[in-house]
Amino acid sequence: MLTELETTLLGVMMIIIMLGMGSSLTFKDFAIALRKPQAILVGMLCQYGLMPLTAFLLATSLGLPGPYVIGLVLMGCMPGGTTSNIFVYFSKGRLSLSILMTVCSTLMAIVMVPVTMSLYGRGVEGEWQVPPDQIITLLGVLLVPTLIGMVLRRKNANVGAVMELMGGVLGVFVIIFLIGSWVPRNWGLLMETGFPVYFASIGLGLIGFTLGYFLARNLRLSTIRARTISMETGIQNGPLAILIVAMVFTGEQQQLVLLIPILYSLFIVITSTMVMFWYRRITTREQIARDNAKIGSVREK
Amino acid sequence: MEYAEGDQERRPWLGQYGDHIEEMLDAPSYDSLPAAVVDAANEYADQTAFTTVMPNGMYGSLTYAEVDEMSDSFAYYLREVLGLDAGDPVALQMPNCLSYPVAMIGILKAGCVVVNTNPLYTTEEMEHQFNDSGAKAVVIVDLFADKLEEILDETPIEHVVMVQVPEFFPPIVKQITYGVMKYWNRAIPSHGLDVTRLPDALKRGREKRSGADAARFWSDLSHDDLAMLQYTGGTTGVAKGAMLSHGNLLWNLAQIRAMTASHLTKGEEVVLTALPLYHIFACVVNFLTMYLVGARNILVPSPRPIQRVQRAMENYDITWLTGVNTLYNALLNEEWFVAFPPEHIKAAAGGGAAMHHAVVDAWEEMVGAPLTEGYGLTEASPAVCFQPLHGERTRNTIGIPVPMTDIKLVDDDGERVEEGERGELCVRGPQVMQGYLNRPEETAKTIVDGWLHTGDVAVMDEQGTFKIVDRKKDMILVSGFNVYPNEIEDVLSRHDKVHEAAVIGAPSEKSGEEVQAYIVKREESLTKQEVEEHCREHLTGYKRPKKIVFREDLPKTPIGKILRRELRQEVLGE
Repeated sequence: MLTELETTLLGVMMIIIMLGMGSSLTFKDFAIALRKPQAILVGMLCQYGLMPLTAFLLATSLGLPGPYVIGLVLMGCMPGGTTSNIFVYFSKGRLSLSILMTVCSTLMAIVMVPVTMSLYGRGVEGEWQVPPDQIITLLGVLLVPTLIGMVLRRKNANVGAVMELMGGVLGVFVIIFLIGSWVPRNWGLLMETGFPVYFASIGLGLIGFTLGYFLARNLRLSTIRARTISMETGIQNGPLAILIVAMVFTGEQQQLVLLIPILYSLFIVITSTMVMFWYRRITTREQIARDNAKIGSVREK
Repeated sequence: MEYAEGDQERRPWLGQYGDHIEEMLDAPSYDSLPAAVVDAANEYADQTAFTTVMPNGMYGSLTYAEVDEMSDSFAYYLREVLGLDAGDPVALQMPNCLSYPVAMIGILKAGCVVVNTNPLYTTEEMEHQFNDSGAKAVVIVDLFADKLEEILDETPIEHVVMVQVPEFFPPIVKQITYGVMKYWNRAIPSHGLDVTRLPDALKRGREKRSGADAARFWSDLSHDDLAMLQYTGGTTGVAKGAMLSHGNLLWNLAQIRAMTASHLTKGEEVVLTALPLYHIFACVVNFLTMYLVGARNILVPSPRPIQRVQRAMENYDITWLTGVNTLYNALLNEEWFVAFPPEHIKAAAGGGAAMHHAVVDAWEEMVGAPLTEGYGLTEASPAVCFQPLHGERTRNTIGIPVPMTDIKLVDDDGERVEEGERGELCVRGPQVMQGYLNRPEETAKTIVDGWLHTGDVAVMDEQGTFKIVDRKKDMILVSGFNVYPNEIEDVLSRHDKVHEAAVIGAPSEKSGEEVQAYIVKREESLTKQEVEEHCREHLTGYKRPKKIVFREDLPKTPIGKILRRELRQEVLGE
């Protein structure tokens, strides 16, 4: 379980992350995006359609016990993580699309997380249920820094841009912080944990990457957009899930539910890094191919 | 050679001046550019003079007082620390950033000569320009330090001052921006040069001057002294340095002011500078003209892709901007621009290459303010013509001559052509350069009896409005008929599915030369048949392109002017 200090720190960091996320967008960006909403709709379909369903099916087919089901489903229902923006940037994807999807899914989370949670968490025993009102309260509270971030950006672009960067970096930092403080304390638990739990924690992200890509491609989005949506889908807001669990559960209960969100958060950094390098290579190759094609068209005759 | 009042016969455009434009301007009261900029700095001391905006919205600003103090210090650094003499050439090679005005005004205050240099130059071009101008020092952006290192020993340059794009930004913002450029984009090469960073140079200059201003370096300057060497003429092979004096530039500033007076309010304008300052157009129109009226200049280091201008346009209430056809066209095709067109624009100026009237129409409809076309060239500091901002403007023209400027159109024998006939445009006025540096023959060929021969073919209507038909040497001769690429390009770009087009002449056995069109599609679905149909509708037989090629893009100059010559080289292997 998390200590009180860890929980408080996590909360503070979450507020800064949300501030940073809000700072990454202007109100105008929103209005513009809503004019051509296909990409966002696809993103939302991935985020709140594919991911919760994947989490649920994984949990059912692996026959996981109640607390793990809740942990996994909660993870699946989370909005996109702010770290995805950094990974998309490094993979030479469409940063603007990534930011937009993250912000949209976060704003919609206040409705979509309780809805998807109650849908897929129905079968679980009552004591493991996450009360919707608590999720709504927490997400509502986190909307405040998001909006403050957007206003900050408007007032002073320098402060906004610095906040944006800090938010992204902190997302990674929170996970490193957890590795440093939580993992050594729970080494025994990690050793005892069975293969299915690991499989689910790692698989959720990987399946997200794959499904996101193919769904986007099926809807005829370009490969570069599809890769962006793929990363955006696979990378969930892990710290947010951990924070929700820490707020809702206590003691032994918290320890059990927390396991999958923490494992997911640890492994997603590794898998995202690998996927990032891979996508980056593909993008570079595509760029070179396009340049060559241009030269070819010039030389023809 | 003196401009005499009146002579309506030969200057029908005077009728268009009306009450808005003064025909006779007094000689500029300032003896030199430093005298003018120091006055402006005193008047607008606490106002923001420059703001550089990065693509993500991060920015840094300098006030008039800061620019004045820093440029004084830089002048002292050049003269007292480096020991340069009055009249020594100092090269300036950087994209739009806060260092540019500081260094440029500093060089002028030192009584030295600015050698404006394109940072995208190849090492070969740099070597040529530094040697040709005899530059003693260079102020260069760190992005291109490796190129400088390669050729430094082959040039007369003895001192290197280095700047960063985010120079003078607030500390954390500067470090982040620099860090992103260096470690994420890997845009800043390492080098083994012995350099002084601009802030250090300013510090050393500041120590030397101990509170005094730099007036003692520039107070003796007069209109005849050289201010700038602006290189030009890449089109005819080797680049030549146009010698622009303080008088040339001060006159041209007064002429531009006279043309735009109705739309300029002292101390209140916010001007977007997306065109590079190392080009004469932005340097004189955006920077110098606007500095003297107390405007705030929003500098965009690199406007390509055009999305990089978005934050600059969103975060500041832009009242003026300048651009070329390609820039306006690109903006009009951006979603963010179309969704929220800027609301405070009073006027926009276009030049560099012919504006297509489809673009002008779309712009004016969307922005609700005039987009006025002008015409100029490096050799004329640069402004020669502008469409008047008041009243009716005739589309597809370059407008009328700026005050105190004469234009005549001549045939190949140098004789004035009949009214309405085509002829080479020749300019006479106080803004015409002193000549090309160390090239008396080229100068004599270009300036004949005080008339600057531009190489552009134009026509004049009854009201004295001029229209550029084409470059003399771009003309295509199809079976004895003259075809002007501009006309064909304009027709092509009027097609909805065409983004932009370039037309060149290629040798043909049948007709001597044939017209070839290179087109960038706006919509993928465009076919050659559609283009052919469109041409049949609007163009007579010999003008229609015989060959149509679709391309991803077209070769362009740094300011976005389409380079037909490069295109011709590329496709014809000339």
